Amino acid sequence: MSIAFKPEETFRGDYRYRNSDAAILRFPFPFPEDRYMYSVNIEPHTRSGPSDVYLHAFDVDEHYIAECRDKAITLERDPGRCQVLPHMMMAQWDTLELLMESLSADYPALFSLTKEGDDFGSLWTWINRPLGIEQRFVFGDAETLPCEPFEYITRQAQGDFAICDQRDDNLYMDAGMVTSQADWSLEFDVGMSFMEWHGPVPLAHQTGVFERALKYLLMLRLGQPVRRLNWTMSINPRLDTSPESYPEWGPDRASVTPANAGEKVHLRVELQTLWRLPRSNAILFPIRCYLASLDDLARVPKWGKRLHRVLSTLPPQLVEYKGLTRYLPAALEWLAQRDDGAELPVGTAAGVTRLNAPVSG
Amino acid sequence: MMHSDIKSRPAYQALVPDLAGSRHLLVIEGDALPPGRLATLSNTFAPVADSLHTWLTGAPAVEGIAGKLWQLGSVEDVLDTLACATRGYGMGDRLYVLGTEPFLWSVAGAAALIGFGPGQLQLEHAGSLRRRVWCTHCHVTTENVTTGIVACRGCSRHLLVRDHFSRRLGAFMGVMVDAEAPGEIPAIEEVFA
Ligand code: HEM
Repeated sequence: MSIAFKPEETFRGDYRYRNSDAAILRFPFPFPEDRYMYSVNIEPHTRSGPSDVYLHAFDVDEHYIAECRDKAITLERDPGRCQVLPHMMMAQWDTLELLMESLSADYPALFSLTKEGDDFGSLWTWINRPLGIEQRFVFGDAETLPCEPFEYITRQAQGDFAICDQRDDNLYMDAGMVTSQADWSLEFDVGMSFMEWHGPVPLAHQTGVFERALKYLLMLRLGQPVRRLNWTMSINPRLDTSPESYPEWGPDRASVTPANAGEKVHLRVELQTLWRLPRSNAILFPIRCYLASLDDLARVPKWGKRLHRVLSTLPPQLVEYKGLTRYLPAALEWLAQRDDGAELPVGTAAGVTRLNAPVSG
Repeated sequence: MMHSDIKSRPAYQALVPDLAGSRHLLVIEGDALPPGRLATLSNTFAPVADSLHTWLTGAPAVEGIAGKLWQLGSVEDVLDTLACATRGYGMGDRLYVLGTEPFLWSVAGAAALIGFGPGQLQLEHAGSLRRRVWCTHCHVTTENVTTGIVACRGCSRHLLVRDHFSRRLGAFMGVMVDAEAPGEIPAIEEVFA
């Protein structure tokens, strides 16, 4: 398999991010039905599913190089986006091992890992061809890497990562690499428990979603990762929608009109997976972010129509929490023109193998 | 109101001595004490008076207080005293703190650093509801906030004070209120008196 990377893409400033037709067709569209509400939507991460993004442990796509660069820019401006509490060193090595082994097994043309042994103290050689990195280091010896192991490997991966320490029948967010988040702050949340960091989410506490999700996660088993989708919307294809930088991207929300909604408004889908880590017994929580404009999505007629229905019936608390209030009317007006009201099959599959011609721009 | 839908907002309870503890430390923000509360506390803590130390900040009138009394100037003195604790604290120690929210979490944070676990700590809110507010943009904290919107001491942005609370920072989250429409700042009202 070969991936045509697009290293010239940007996620800020001139926003030179674009999805190829293939990238649109594999988009992890999150709505199987015309209505949406929070639920315990967790399923086994089985390397199969209605989109190609599920085929590998950690999906790598055409945006890989550009996303890693954007992450480096964000970290340069705000090093606090990577935080690890001192007792998490074992979990750092667990994460490095899981990522290196998975990436090299799933994408042998891109990544390779050569190990002289599996245990701490063995010499490992890591090659990352897209980013031009070759690194020999001693597994378990942080001095032999340019930075700590968690930061080292997550700089070379798309998406955000949190590590949750498990103790007292709870999960604590004791480490994170968070540069493409949907408006939450690692600096504020680090060290919090599962219910605390989920504090601001409306409705889901009351319906027991978080209580059941936590129970389920505490029993997560090694080698049996699970996954769920989460979603929100962003104006422009911007990865860094952190509260830290909200003064920069907040004004964009006021720039949406029915005429430009197609290219400005993006559906932002997070493929979240959960992995028990072998030595530390912690849980790794990678959050892989996919962005598609309304223009992109409407090229799959089923998706354009369904998104219109989901957004027009979204509970007001979710509209408010996800920050859609200011531009939702413009987006709905744009989408309404592409929804004929026909009944849609249940499920997220695109239902087409070729896209309609682009609608605007 | 102390009640909030946001689950990170801690719930506080009236202090009661934990008889499983062998040594007890009661830390009180004197200026936050409601009239008569010292007397009821002394009654409640009478059963452990022999192994109780009470640290009192500010200078309220002290009459008939339980345990051995130490008077400290301010919260900074409490934090310093905890940080340089010459006597080792251990599993048998219990810490009880009474005061405003910033006071409670300053002391709780210092105690966590010297090894107090959640099971060894009780917090009771008293006095003003004023908040410590942490700016999500510049990460500076602004103290003694009584209004729902406040100008950040660090970056001067007007912050909306949310109910989302971090125990580590002992602070509520503040988010720029007019980021989406610069200059549109709602009326500023006192809400955490
Ligand atoms: C254990 C790893 C997890 C971490 C580190 C995590 C972290 C977060 C964070 C930081 C937020 C943003 C909260 C805010 O507004 O500040 C969030 C939102 C949310 N989380 Fe989680 N979460 C985890 C697992 C789960 C699971 C298993 C569920 C399953 C039900 C879940 C459901 C949600 C929902 C529904 C939201 C609101 C999202 C939205 O509407 O945009 N989370 N999570």
